[in-house]
Amino acid sequence: MPEQIYAQNQSFEQNEEQDAELNEAQAAGQANAQTGTQAKAQLSDAILDVDSLLDDIESTLEENAEEYVSSFVQKGGE
Amino acid sequence: MPQLRDSSNSGPTSRTLSVTPDTSFERIFGIETEYGLSVTGEKSATEGAKHGETKLDAARVASVMFEPVVAQSRSTNTYADNGSRLYLDVGAHPEYATAEARTVSDAVLLDAAGENLMAALAHGAERALQEREGEPDLRVHMYKNNADSQGHSFGCHENYLVRRSVSLRELEKCFIPFLVTRQIFAGAGTFRDGEYQISQRADFLDDTISSATTRSRPMINTRDEPHADSRLYRRLHVIVGDSNRSQRATWMKMMTAHLVLCMLEAQSRGEDYRLGVFAMNEPGFHMKKISRDLDFRYRIPLSGGVEVSAIQIQREYCDAAELFLQRHADELKPDMREDAAVCVQLWRRTLSQCEARDWTALASWVDWVAKYQLISGAVRRGASEAKGLQLDFAYHDIAHDTVFSALQSRGFVQALYSMDAVRRARHEAPRGTRAELRGEFLRLARQSPARWSADWTSLSAAPAQETRAVTAHILDPFSVEKTSEYEAVCAVLRGGRGEDPMLPLI
Repeated sequence: MPEQIYAQNQSFEQNEEQDAELNEAQAAGQANAQTGTQAKAQLSDAILDVDSLLDDIESTLEENAEEYVSSFVQKGGE
Repeated sequence: MPQLRDSSNSGPTSRTLSVTPDTSFERIFGIETEYGLSVTGEKSATEGAKHGETKLDAARVASVMFEPVVAQSRSTNTYADNGSRLYLDVGAHPEYATAEARTVSDAVLLDAAGENLMAALAHGAERALQEREGEPDLRVHMYKNNADSQGHSFGCHENYLVRRSVSLRELEKCFIPFLVTRQIFAGAGTFRDGEYQISQRADFLDDTISSATTRSRPMINTRDEPHADSRLYRRLHVIVGDSNRSQRATWMKMMTAHLVLCMLEAQSRGEDYRLGVFAMNEPGFHMKKISRDLDFRYRIPLSGGVEVSAIQIQREYCDAAELFLQRHADELKPDMREDAAVCVQLWRRTLSQCEARDWTALASWVDWVAKYQLISGAVRRGASEAKGLQLDFAYHDIAHDTVFSALQSRGFVQALYSMDAVRRARHEAPRGTRAELRGEFLRLARQSPARWSADWTSLSAAPAQETRAVTAHILDPFSVEKTSEYEAVCAVLRGGRGEDPMLPLI
């Protein structure tokens, strides 16, 4: 017997228009994504410029690395 | 794992399921991802509090995250619009189990949709907590990874429907060695205890096959709840994989596994791919050694005194897969045939790049290599061990995604799917499996005054004022057939009274 019966008329999925940060950040991150459903093996030709990338990334990370790391505590899953 | 109802094979449609063995290579794919949570930025916690201690623990954050879900479903365990399962798992892990996909490409897209949904829920929790706690700098982080900072591990589990003709012994001999060595391109990397490893999960796994799940962690298990005809199929549950950010890595992880399973199914029918030669005595031990061997030099001893490297083992599987395609490509549906060809080509190229230590090429889609470039670069620039581990976690943060998204926005890593495709996939069930039926059911249910429920193998609805529900069983995951039972349930949702009230509501 299925485990829950409930009445509902809207989806918790319908609120993403409000999530501007998510949409912006992910749109920026996905600028180079391929469209379509067939996965083609086109790989990147860009050379990974680590130093330049780190310059950008490090400014976005929280300053206190120890605190950031130790704040992530969770019981084990399956 | 959700406590799913047993898919009883004594339901009314079981007599319509054929017992003719299925010799096709069609497969059902699923990815279940457990996410980790953390909170940073609470001012009141840092004043005078012990180092790292926060007021809000993962359980509290998770429950706030799921408030919109509970408000709608009266449960933290529900289905997303696309037929995937969304729930709060053991240890306060938000989890997303993708709807049944008939292709790996669909499974990867659904997994991305799950990431997108989880990120949205995390942002919602962040806004709510900022307001309620009066903490404007509070941040909720959501990690698609496999370990926290205290050595607790959680999984990214792959599900493959496999023909029962493949015995557990065959899986142990022929599939486990593939899984143990697959990490060289599927590993997500980790910087734990100042040491970089290829695999997030290697240290947490021991036995190979088992039916226990929480105490010891077997690499794979087979469940007695195949959610399909158990006379023909078993559900292979693989827990050894890492959670990947790179969509191409997820795709390769599962496509290569699919091809190996195809070969094992063909082997069970008399073909030979000589995959038994890699049977290992201590796969867990070797997996940990390979994980620490960034130079691919470690050799695994096999029977007869032979020693082989992980690359060599993977190359044999790749060669065998190519042979499988030569023999069987025509039997595959066109989309899977093309994907299989792309997979084998990339597999071969990747193994050559591993041999050549071509880190730049590998970094374009192999998570552990991309992450390694960042962390080793940071350490070279003077970063502390803590900063290195921060980069490790931040790579997997989907709520505040500044690391992986930087790799993508600069074109170093390419996604397989656009954001538009991912957003659409949150609301569209994948085609070609019973998820289609569940998806339509959910679409009708969301607009209906009727009461309803669903699990992997059944759909029920009851008119608002009645106590008796109408139920449809969807036991065959490959079937998209709208049976009369199914139409009856949909009729209830559309406002009809249902033809044959069968079961009382609990």
